[in-house]
This record gives sequence, structure tokens and C-alpha cells, in this order.
Amino acid sequence: MSDQDRIAALEKENSRLQKLNDLKSNWISISAHQLRTSLSAIKWILKMFLDGDFGQLNGDQKSFMQKAYDSNERMVEMVTEMLTLNHTDSVALTYSYQPRDLLALVDETMFDFTSESYKKGIQLLFARPSEKIPLIPIDLEKIRVVLQNLIENAIKYSEAGDKVIVSITMDDKNVTVSVKDTGIGIPEAERAKIFEKFFRAENAREKDSIGSGLGLFTSKTIIENHTGKLWFENMESGTNFCFSLPLQQKSS
Amino acid sequence: MADKKKILIAEDDTFLQGLVSSKLGKSGFEVMVANNGKDAIKLSDENTPDIILLDLVMPGTDGFAALEKIRKSSATKKTPIIVFSNLAEAKDIERARELGANEFMIKSNFTLDELVDKINEFVKAGQGLK
Repeated sequence: MSDQDRIAALEKENSRLQKLNDLKSNWISISAHQLRTSLSAIKWILKMFLDGDFGQLNGDQKSFMQKAYDSNERMVEMVTEMLTLNHTDSVALTYSYQPRDLLALVDETMFDFTSESYKKGIQLLFARPSEKIPLIPIDLEKIRVVLQNLIENAIKYSEAGDKVIVSITMDDKNVTVSVKDTGIGIPEAERAKIFEKFFRAENAREKDSIGSGLGLFTSKTIIENHTGKLWFENMESGTNFCFSLPLQQKSS
Repeated sequence: MADKKKILIAEDDTFLQGLVSSKLGKSGFEVMVANNGKDAIKLSDENTPDIILLDLVMPGTDGFAALEKIRKSSATKKTPIIVFSNLAEAKDIERARELGANEFMIKSNFTLDELVDKINEFVKAGQGLK
């Protein structure tokens, strides 16, 4: 095969793969639309029951309707997450890095989880850094998603009485955020797969049957697009997820 | 009591259409429904609604085409149009805004009460214009 033939063959294969990828993206878009239509109907009907539009519900009825409503809400979120993921490739092109206050972002995000952790009886704590954290170049909304994912997971996979501790540290090159929990941890056999798309550990599925298996995958993609690192450490009980972001973005 | 505000709902899914129109009827609106873009254009021309709720994916003339037409018609040039759709990727939202939608709401992300609140915001903002 001559070089020219090889190039032609590669070009052909490339265009075939691009078409296939477009097809996949379209298929996901259409599925999401269809799923959302059914989810909307379920949501509105359950809400009508909960609001007593069809007569007052007794305690059990109300509590089960609420559970159904909450599950449906999570499915709505999953569809949104699926769409976000569908565009992860193209989203990579639209990162917008601005100097931002990571400490304030952590503060805000933790605040959003106050009531959820309180409800579950989990202590959500912030070990504030002793030194001043400078503004660092990040895409604020994307890093917010990462923080949300990590804190949400930490709470989700912990029990009443557990603790979730968030901390920020800094060295001369990076800022590192750690979200440490005393929850169920990640089984040793499954640690290698934890960042894979759609993967959920056995004990995570047992603990909570609903979950897309996209949170950590998406988070890792976002952090790596920031030329940072996302990893975890196993604690005696629980897990410590960390990500580090460079103080300076390499010019790109 | 103030006059009933006229609202046009363009929605091809008859089940969702029924839920939305019954909710809006109970909330004090005079409701008109269209099952596709073509009827939406016709009804909006004939009845000049105070507000329009527009789905995007509809058979024949879709919501985008209807939006463009309704926005260009002199009778409904300034009528608030809320796109209420489950087709809601960034490119769809941007396109709807470019064509003149005042608001974009993803159906599955809102309850009907929240929808009514949003519509009332527009009604309030529009009072005195007419």
C-alpha cells in the first residue's frame, strides 16, 4: 500500500467515524427529547396528586407519591447530564478561563448542600486554608459541576453520623481541593474502573439504585481540560477525592 | 375582576396539551389550543392572544417556523412568546431566542405551577401596554 493509499483510507475511515459520531449525538438528542416528554407528564401528574388536586392523600400515599416524584426528578437530572455528556467533546472547545476565586466557589457549593447533609445527619465541614488562595484561571461553571459531583457523591454514599470534610491546600504550582468522606468507600476490585463512563461500583448501586455513572467521568474530563488532575485515595473508612488545578494555565 | 388574558398553547402531544390547558384554565386564563405550527400561526393571527406558549417539535410546520411567522406578523410582533419544549440543547435555545422567543422553558424542569408563575410575570410586565 502506498502512502497515498494509506492517507486516502485513513481519510475515508475518519469521515465514516465522524458520521457515526454525529449519528450517535443525534440519536441521544432525540432520545432525550422523548424521555423528557414522558418525564414531564409523570412529573406534572405526581405534582397534582401531591397538591391534593384529586383529593387529600393520607400519610402513606403522600410519602410514596413524594418518593416517586423525587425519583422522577433524578431521572430528569440524568437526562440533562446525558445531554451534557453528549456534548463533552464539543464543550471542550468552549471552555472559558477567567481568574476566579476558588475559595468562594467552594463556599457557595457547600452552602447549596447544607440542607441535604443536615437532613441525612451528615456533618459537612470546611477546613479553611490558612493561606490566601489567589485567583486562578478556571471555567467557573464547569468547576462548579465537579465540586457538586464530588460533594454530592460524598453525601450520597455516607450514613448519618458520617463526616464530609472539604479542604483546600496550595503549593507553588497547584491548588488542590479535597473532598473526604467517612462513607462506604470504593471496593478494591472496582477502583480501577471508577472513572469509566457509566460505571458504578457494586456497593454504590446497592446503596442507591439511581445514578448515571457519569459524574466522575464528566468531572475527570473537566479537570483534565483544565490541565489539572483528579484522583482518589482510600481511607480506612471512606474515600478522599482530590483535584488539583494549576495556578497558571499554560497558554493554549 | 380584570379581563381574562388570552393564551395560545401550541402543543402536539394531546396528553400534555390537556394537562397544560386545564391548569391554565383553572388559573384564570382563556385558553386556545393548536396541535401544530400551522394552526398556531392561524389562531394567533385571528385572535391576537396576550401570550403564546409554543412547543418546538410539532408535525408539519414546527415551532421554529411558527415562531418566525408569528414574530413577523404585525398583530403579534410584541406578544410575549414562551417556548415550552423538551428540545433544549444550547443550539435550540439560541435559535429560538434569535427568532424572537422571550423565554425558553424546558418542560421537564418545571412544574405547572412554576409555568403559571412565569406566565403571570409576563402578564404583569405587559400590563399597561395594551
